[in-house]
Amino acid sequence: MKDDYLWDPSSAPDPEVERLERMLGRLRSNAPAPDLPGRFAGKGPRYTSARFLVPTLAAAASIVAMIGLTWQTTRGIRSWEVSRMTGQPRIGSAPLAGTGRLGVGQTLVTDAASRARLDVSTIGQATVDTDSRVRLVDTREGHHKLALERGTLHAFITAPPGQFVVDTPSATATDLGCVYTLHVDEDGTGMLSVTAGWVAFEFNGRESFVPAGASARTDPRIGPGTPRYDDAALELQAALDDFDYGADATAKARDLQLVLSSATPRDAMTLWHLIARVSPADRTAVIDALDARVPMPASITREAVMRLDKAALDQWWDALGLRDAGWWRKWKGPYPADVK
Amino acid sequence: MEHVLNLVAVHRVTDGGVSLSGTIRAVANGDRDAFSRLYADYSRMVHAVLLGRVPRRDVDDLVQDVFVTAYTRIRELREPAAFGGWIATIARNRATDYLRQSREQVELPDELPGGDPIEAETFAVLEVIRGLPEAYRDTLLMRLVEGMSGQEIADRTGLAPGSVRVNLHRGMKLLREKLGLET
Repeated sequence: MKDDYLWDPSSAPDPEVERLERMLGRLRSNAPAPDLPGRFAGKGPRYTSARFLVPTLAAAASIVAMIGLTWQTTRGIRSWEVSRMTGQPRIGSAPLAGTGRLGVGQTLVTDAASRARLDVSTIGQATVDTDSRVRLVDTREGHHKLALERGTLHAFITAPPGQFVVDTPSATATDLGCVYTLHVDEDGTGMLSVTAGWVAFEFNGRESFVPAGASARTDPRIGPGTPRYDDAALELQAALDDFDYGADATAKARDLQLVLSSATPRDAMTLWHLIARVSPADRTAVIDALDARVPMPASITREAVMRLDKAALDQWWDALGLRDAGWWRKWKGPYPADVK
Repeated sequence: MEHVLNLVAVHRVTDGGVSLSGTIRAVANGDRDAFSRLYADYSRMVHAVLLGRVPRRDVDDLVQDVFVTAYTRIRELREPAAFGGWIATIARNRATDYLRQSREQVELPDELPGGDPIEAETFAVLEVIRGLPEAYRDTLLMRLVEGMSGQEIADRTGLAPGSVRVNLHRGMKLLREKLGLET
């Protein structure tokens, strides 16, 4: 009987119901359980036979509540303070009046008229612009993570590198001690622009290291695009976008040639990223173009670069003057103040 | 003693093998692991109840609201076996509050599907289900969206298995008619 499948999904399937299941199953949610308030401490007696105990218990409850409040304020482990800047932001579905707490698993939502500021534990601040939606994924000592589902977030982080991470639908931005703006559109595409410091942008093993003054796009299809300085020639930037996200192979080859021919020495950072992103057939031309702007170190060989030898690529990166590759990859060592 | 949970007549067992009454008693004592078990067992049902009433973009947030409310009020629950119906009522009330607040604010389109025709079809079918009578709507969403079996739906909602079977059967018949699938 076909309707048995409605009752018991392990029985012989009804193709029509199966199709509806596949279609509507996309609406299923994997949202985590909410982070809970510590509310039961001092909640009050369950047995109230001794009337004279009430004032004493009330006082005890107050003390416990104060201790709890102090603990939450001083430790701030599982939530961040959030302040309304304009309009009527929401935490979940609850309107935010003044200030509130954003707990792990909760979402801060701004509409077309509202903005809010997040205190990123004790390591910085993030401003959430209009029409944004950001969820606190985790916060604990040395690790703080947001998910920017849509909209714009401005981050100002003073912590050592690697402690503040923002997930987007198409890339993960790891702060390397910096100020940056991250924007995500409804379709999951996005843009990272770094004002100070560095940000590592990564998706499925595809990395972009984005220094101050540079930006990188991101797209759910391929992840982070090739970073470029914001003052690079507009035609180079347009060609780079087309190369990263275009589908026409002929056009992409033309775009790559335009990038290689118009790059300045300052665009060496962009060319370095391209080495691993082009086909082996195009790699020789990229290596030549980078070599012309920042000569290949004598300690490495063209063959090693051609086969994307990590050590060779790191040594060439070191020659760009953007701090050594070990710092980039491991995010250790002092803040590199010698790099502009 | 009105607020002390009546744990005597409860035999229902959650998926982890721990009795529902034991889990609820643990939650009432602030056990967060027990709360996580309740969330794992009942969040799909709550999600379905809300999805049938409010725009999808806000459903996850409201699910969280509902569970936080349940957590803070769980000592008001006198009969642990009634937890499913109780939290479903919280979800329905929360949806009503949400819709009331939404009417006072700027009206937004209910759903904003992208250009993907498959996505548009999904939201179109969801809208049809939302138009069904409440009993059919909730049961069908638990089955078709959340992937719950009829027995699971009965266990979580507290409805009699026979009622769930009837709701599924009649709800699906109505849905087929409205989608033009009924021959």
